[in-house]
Amino acid sequence: MRSAPTALLDRRGIIWVVLTLLISMTPQLASMPLHLVPITLLPIAWRLLAEFRRWKPMPMFLRIVATALAVTVLVSTYGGLMGRSAAVSMLVLMLSLKLLETFRVRDARVVASLSLFLCGTQFLFSQGVPMILYIIACLLSALIALMYLQRCEAYDVLDKIPDTDRNLLSELGFGARLLALALPLGLALFLLFPRWGSPLWGLPEDALDSRSGLSDSMTPGSIQSLFMDDSPAFRATFASGIPRHSELYWRGPVFWDFDGKSWQISYLSRNLRADSRPAAENAPIRYAIQMEPTEQKWLFALDYPALIPAKTILTVDYQLIALHPVTELRDYVVASDPGFRDSPVLRRTLLRAALDLPEGFNPRTAEMMSEWRSEAESDAEIIRRALDYFHQQDFHYTLNPPLLSRHTVDEFLFDTREGFCEHYASAFTVMMRMAGIPARVVTGYQGGYFNSIGSYVLVRQSDAHAWSEVWVRGSGWTRIDPTAAVAPERVEQGAVDSLDQRRYMFDFQWLRNARNTFDLFQRGWNNWVVAFGADRQSRLFSIFGWDMPGPAKLVMAMIAVILIVGAAVFMLVPMLLQFRSSRSPDPLLRLWKRFTRKLAKAGFVARPSMAATELAQKATGQLKYKGDAILKIAELYTRCRYSQDSDNQQELSDLIRRFPPRSTS
Amino acid sequence: MVAASPARQSIRDNITGWIKQRVQAKRGPLTPPVELEYRHIFVLPTRFGWGFGFMLVCMALGGLNFNNSMALILVFLLGAVAQLTTLIAYRNLSGLKIDNVWSEPVFCGEDAQFRVFVSNGDDHQRFAVQAGFNKPQDCADFRLNSHNSMVLRHPTVQRGWLEMPSFRLETRFPLGLFKAWSWIFPRSRCLVYPAPARTAPPLPKSGQGQSGRAIKGDGDEVHGLRKYQAGDSMQRVAWRASARHDELYSLEMEVPRENACALDWDLLRGDDIETRLSILTAWVIAADHKQLAYSLRLPGTLIESGKGTAHRVRCLESLALYLS
Repeated sequence: MRSAPTALLDRRGIIWVVLTLLISMTPQLASMPLHLVPITLLPIAWRLLAEFRRWKPMPMFLRIVATALAVTVLVSTYGGLMGRSAAVSMLVLMLSLKLLETFRVRDARVVASLSLFLCGTQFLFSQGVPMILYIIACLLSALIALMYLQRCEAYDVLDKIPDTDRNLLSELGFGARLLALALPLGLALFLLFPRWGSPLWGLPEDALDSRSGLSDSMTPGSIQSLFMDDSPAFRATFASGIPRHSELYWRGPVFWDFDGKSWQISYLSRNLRADSRPAAENAPIRYAIQMEPTEQKWLFALDYPALIPAKTILTVDYQLIALHPVTELRDYVVASDPGFRDSPVLRRTLLRAALDLPEGFNPRTAEMMSEWRSEAESDAEIIRRALDYFHQQDFHYTLNPPLLSRHTVDEFLFDTREGFCEHYASAFTVMMRMAGIPARVVTGYQGGYFNSIGSYVLVRQSDAHAWSEVWVRGSGWTRIDPTAAVAPERVEQGAVDSLDQRRYMFDFQWLRNARNTFDLFQRGWNNWVVAFGADRQSRLFSIFGWDMPGPAKLVMAMIAVILIVGAAVFMLVPMLLQFRSSRSPDPLLRLWKRFTRKLAKAGFVARPSMAATELAQKATGQLKYKGDAILKIAELYTRCRYSQDSDNQQELSDLIRRFPPRSTS
Repeated sequence: MVAASPARQSIRDNITGWIKQRVQAKRGPLTPPVELEYRHIFVLPTRFGWGFGFMLVCMALGGLNFNNSMALILVFLLGAVAQLTTLIAYRNLSGLKIDNVWSEPVFCGEDAQFRVFVSNGDDHQRFAVQAGFNKPQDCADFRLNSHNSMVLRHPTVQRGWLEMPSFRLETRFPLGLFKAWSWIFPRSRCLVYPAPARTAPPLPKSGQGQSGRAIKGDGDEVHGLRKYQAGDSMQRVAWRASARHDELYSLEMEVPRENACALDWDLLRGDDIETRLSILTAWVIAADHKQLAYSLRLPGTLIESGKGTAHRVRCLESLALYLS
């Protein structure tokens, strides 16, 4: 039979469809540029008003104009449609505009289904624990919407849809039951469905949005936004003891090139591998890191990595760089040796790079440094003097420093004297270079939060930090953290905690415990769900002694499993269902049906219209059993039926079970 | 949605026809009550189901490629839900019982209306069960242990018995992804009377026919009693009734308002059989409408003069089944 996808929608149907769309677009709405939000919500509001005011569908040319306007705004906002945020925002906008013409089941189904697709795309941005609620909400409302659309379609032949179970509770009950019943199969598929070890296609690099974390250049003031970002950067579980907080310098991008305004990654450091690294067996700090996706290549490790994970390289300045951007949760194990001596001898090219400064910037600082140089007897004295300078002069640590113009270091050192780690590291490094001491800027994370419940260190984006390294003849590159000279508590406690404001508005012990537990749960979720890929799957299989087969075998195995499971489903389940559906709620009737089945087997087919005694007489006549077993059963059944006698029912059950009697003629 | 091309339509019809034949050969026409069982129910994806499945495959490919676990969870849950709906659709039909099919005779050209009585004897509800010959015509929900009836219309083109064609019970509950359906071959038929002629000649007047009755003066049927009035004939006095009371009563007589008539096949010389039958049908209806007594004579059949519904039905039946 042909269906009626052109059936009109009823009110409850359209409301559930709109609700599904709203729920599924919520995370995207929250992350969109603000002026796109009203543009997205407007068509939805129009559609709801149209439902309640009984407006007609919008004329075609108006829809086209609205779409063209909205797309223009979107494209000009994102500067094109490349990148996931732009693409997903486009999907959201299109779905919302689609509502303008959604007056029939067919269109509404498209909206509801694509809302689920939209829900799927949101996991490209976050797979955190709160997304569990999101996925459930999306699924529930989409299932209810589809159910209503089906009713609209089916009842299109009549004028009216009957009001069977039209209330929120039974709707939610319907959706929840459907989900609950599907859950076991869904989870089994999740665990057993073979994963690909490597992706078939990668994201184009320009599609990556570099949504969080440190960037590949540093302009003082640029990581400011990170300080308010409490999202986790990575979690470190130490196999050895946990080093002191002030020793937790997680090395990230290292900057050599300064153009007067910002620091850039050097060509040298990106292309030269480390000459040597600490001996792995001596490395005292061993830890596993679970890193949240950054879409960049830096992995983070403590100084100095002795044992590095696969598919990574260690650069000359000991950055740990992955071959591919980290687009998904990544686990790796590192061993570090903080006692390692980094480059006791420096190559000439690197030496030059570590002393290079642009011409015509920061004359006041240059003047001061040449004065210091002439007064000092050693490099160490200049370094000490610079740190003292930060410590003794009136420098402040603040996350809201005034803006700097051309001579950033001059203005910072002599005028504003307010800033945070980037300002101090940048200024200190420039000072050192001016004094002829090789220096570079290192960014990364400093410290971390020890989760006492899960015994691991959680490093948040807000732990981002920048410090300096100077090269001292003999001892090699040495870490100097000028911020510690100004605000030692920054290094002891963390960026935000070192200010007078607390990290959280409410800071109670129980709340802290709850937060710890939540993050522990998040880590477990990451471990067992988000990071469940080909590796973990094969590990899971190996518990049962199975090897993960190769692709060809895998496909064969999949087909076999699908065939077997399919056959089982098609043969067994309907049988069970049949059994269930033929189970009458009336036990007496069940007994009687069993009896008639036995009679049918013996060759007497009862017509449904026959009364019990009539049936018995005819059956006795036809089947010629010795004695009056059939008559007796019929009589007993009649008595049970009309006298509600439960003792007799037991007897009847026995008689029927023993039927037919052994000796048949 | 694009309308199915004629070629595709005919392929579809062929396949449907083949399935129907196979099923019918196996099960044959059934006399209700018929209960829908496992073997009677087919389940296949709908067009929307295919589209939805395609979307799921795309999502699964994306999820697998980027190893995005939560996207995969979403896909697998949706896949499991879709799989579950096949069983739910099946269960929505299985166990339904067609208790009876009933139809009233119609005139050719009208739609025959088959009323299918369906009962749900199970302890679960059923939703949106559609019925129809080729496209759905009626739809019903079933509560626990409830009955419902659905009306199926079928056009009539020929007088006589219309054997009820096989019809489908179908459901796309709950999500419209899969349809479960069952072909039912009920042993039921609808009597189709000949279509009454639109421009029938006027009813044949009494006297023209051989068995027409003559008019009698004062009428010969008793209407009732009334008080005796001066001038009433003594023959009309109801003596027995008058004896029981203290005054005279007389019988009030009435003349039948119109004449009786005889509807005869031979009056319609020259026309072909179907035209004659349809004119006779129109006459029967007209005569019945005017409450005339009429007789009907067809070659080989004579229905004596009479009146009333039963008489009319008998006449129409013999017209419908003439030479068939």
